[in-house]
Amino acid sequence: MNDTTPTAPVIRLAHLYPDQLNVYGDRGNIITLTQRCQWRGITLRVFPLDVGDAVDPDAYDLFFIGGGQDKEQGEVARDMRDVKAANVRAAIDAGTPLLAVCGGYQLLCHYYRDAEGEELPGIGLFDAWTIHKGKQVARCIGNVALSWEGATLVGFENHGGRTYLGERATPLGRVLAGHGNNSEDKTEGVIYKNAYGTYLHGSLLPKNPHLADRIIALALAHARGESAPAALTPLPDDLEWQAHNVMLRRLGLPTTDRPTPAALAR
Amino acid sequence: MTNTPDTRPPAPGTASASGVSRRPDTSGSLRAIARPRHSRTRAALAVAAGRATGVLSRRLRLGGGTSLPGLVALRIDPGLPAYLGAQLRQGSIVVTGTNGKTTTSGLVTEVLRAAGHRVWRNREGSNLMRGVATSLLIRARPDGKLRGGGDASAVFEVDEAAFPAVVAALQPRAIVITNLFRDQLDRYGEVDTVAEKWRLALSKLPPTTTLILNADDPAVAALADSDREAPVVYYGVEEAPIVTAGREPGDCAEVIDTRTCARCHAVLEFSQRFYSHIGHWSCPSCGYRRPDPLVRARGIHPDALAGTVFQLETPAGVTEARVELPGLYNVYNALAAAAVGVTVGAETPRIREAIARFRPAFGRAERIAVGDKTVQLLLAKNPTGLNEVLRALGMMEGRHHLLLALSDKAADGEDVSWIWDADYERVPGIAAYVTTTGTRAYDLALRLKYTGQPPQHIEPDFGRALTHALEHTPSGSTLYIVPTYTAMLAIRGELAHRGYTPQYWEQQDE
Repeated sequence: MNDTTPTAPVIRLAHLYPDQLNVYGDRGNIITLTQRCQWRGITLRVFPLDVGDAVDPDAYDLFFIGGGQDKEQGEVARDMRDVKAANVRAAIDAGTPLLAVCGGYQLLCHYYRDAEGEELPGIGLFDAWTIHKGKQVARCIGNVALSWEGATLVGFENHGGRTYLGERATPLGRVLAGHGNNSEDKTEGVIYKNAYGTYLHGSLLPKNPHLADRIIALALAHARGESAPAALTPLPDDLEWQAHNVMLRRLGLPTTDRPTPAALAR
Repeated sequence: MTNTPDTRPPAPGTASASGVSRRPDTSGSLRAIARPRHSRTRAALAVAAGRATGVLSRRLRLGGGTSLPGLVALRIDPGLPAYLGAQLRQGSIVVTGTNGKTTTSGLVTEVLRAAGHRVWRNREGSNLMRGVATSLLIRARPDGKLRGGGDASAVFEVDEAAFPAVVAALQPRAIVITNLFRDQLDRYGEVDTVAEKWRLALSKLPPTTTLILNADDPAVAALADSDREAPVVYYGVEEAPIVTAGREPGDCAEVIDTRTCARCHAVLEFSQRFYSHIGHWSCPSCGYRRPDPLVRARGIHPDALAGTVFQLETPAGVTEARVELPGLYNVYNALAAAAVGVTVGAETPRIREAIARFRPAFGRAERIAVGDKTVQLLLAKNPTGLNEVLRALGMMEGRHHLLLALSDKAADGEDVSWIWDADYERVPGIAAYVTTTGTRAYDLALRLKYTGQPPQHIEPDFGRALTHALEHTPSGSTLYIVPTYTAMLAIRGELAHRGYTPQYWEQQDE
């Protein structure tokens, strides 16, 4: 099936808390999704959802939530729990894709225990929790690479909290270089249904076009009411993979050819 | 002047500047409490060791020698900057902020000279405590006393993170804070964290320290918002042109680093917003608003290729001023220097001449002739700095030849995700030919690709990139180089290697 048929496709992206959660180049993820859709004749419409805004679980094909400053997290966490949790969860359970980065990822887990031992409850979408082990423990900062579905993901991480996955959680990838979820068990990120949580920014999607396209394929399928990810027209991603490989080389890892669609098919 | 260093009087001129409030001077007693007795022998030893290190590092060509002497001296005597700083008869001026530190320090230096001061300045790239220590000890005699009886003003550009320790040591006569934007989150932390550290540092200073603050930056203006009854001089822009070149309506909204009220945390409103969170702000909830600035600019417009003309308003009068730098951000830098001038009682015409006389150095809009072409270096190391450079380029006629350089060394910030928060969407509208270079040349190229227009050429090697970019710049035209910090050092080194500019540490200091 071609992605320009049967109807002119529109993906509706809900961007959660764009004013509060935007510190680590998360705008790059939105720019990347928008452009990669546009290059294929798909329209991506971004709907900002701010503090106080209700979520219609059927109104969106994709959710995105980024990372923010500490000052903003409390207000956002409260709003997430009180106003949005039930409907976001309903949408994800029904198969709507979601990408959560850094602070946004932490908000969707069970809780965040800060350096003083105070717990900030999350919404428990992901079976995982985050513990800040005190100011004397070094932050997880630096370039990071993962293996993901036979390919690699590269990015930059900067988090004080360590995230641990519960029994029901599947990690997004395995750490090849860097810290990942907690600098201990080599896991990075989490997947639940079509929801992805990760610490990778940099921004994440520009240098990982295969992940960007996975998310677009899921969102497009959702927009069309289909269950299998949509087939997408390949794009000339040479520059994306060159930038990706610069980082793999820097981290002493073997470089990657452009992953074939077969390698990425589930 | 007959004052001994320990009973330095309040800055002359501060009290006379209208709109400046101050508490009765208690500096003598405060200083006596704040400063423990200091060993002169130890200070002398530290000075001697530091100076010997400087000589040695220059002989061995270890490079610059801008901070090594201070590092060695601080090992011997951590109290040295406080001890030497207290000997400065005219006191010190500390300049910090995310963007504009170096340019503002240069402008302040010119203004103080115009006011008749002898001025000492710390050197480029030495804005940590060790650099401040170096700057003082190279002006000290072997007995631990400053040359010329310390009859000078010192202007110190200080790193945001080093600021609390430096101002605690120096107890400056005035502190200039230019702005606060996200910058190197992996190194400095978040904007709020930085503001909180500054606030704490300022709360410990005696009321003899005048604060010179950007009224248009709500995070900076709020730094005066404490119990501390020190004199505050605000500067700000009354009106500014809106530049639309290279920007499409419907582009992603500009990222704003300070969006909430420092007092009540409600979301701020802007009657005018010039860039990021810089503008005329007010809080709809508690009524806290931009303070009325004492030193103001309006009628701003670009002049010829690289200059900016504006109407400068001080309590002493109104004058047409010109700064030899492009962009609104440099008008702010000039205003900060003018505010220092007002603080020390300089006359408006002297301030105007000093600002006009100032020439940028070391990558801040510095112009270098390369054969029949010109190269101009425009440092940009964070989203707001980059946006302002692109806006300034958009104010100039025609399409430009650009060499954009992105590196991720420690001094640049290892996290380059900030490029996605910057408005490179302006580039296709203002560029004729773009080359990207640096350790992250491909990241930058990718950023440009997602504006819809990838660069014409990608070359991580600085030398080859410079050669290529110059070849593609027509005779008589300017190549604008927009680098991050270490990329600027590399490109400048490359130009110097080709005989086009002196190495910075060989430039005359005074």
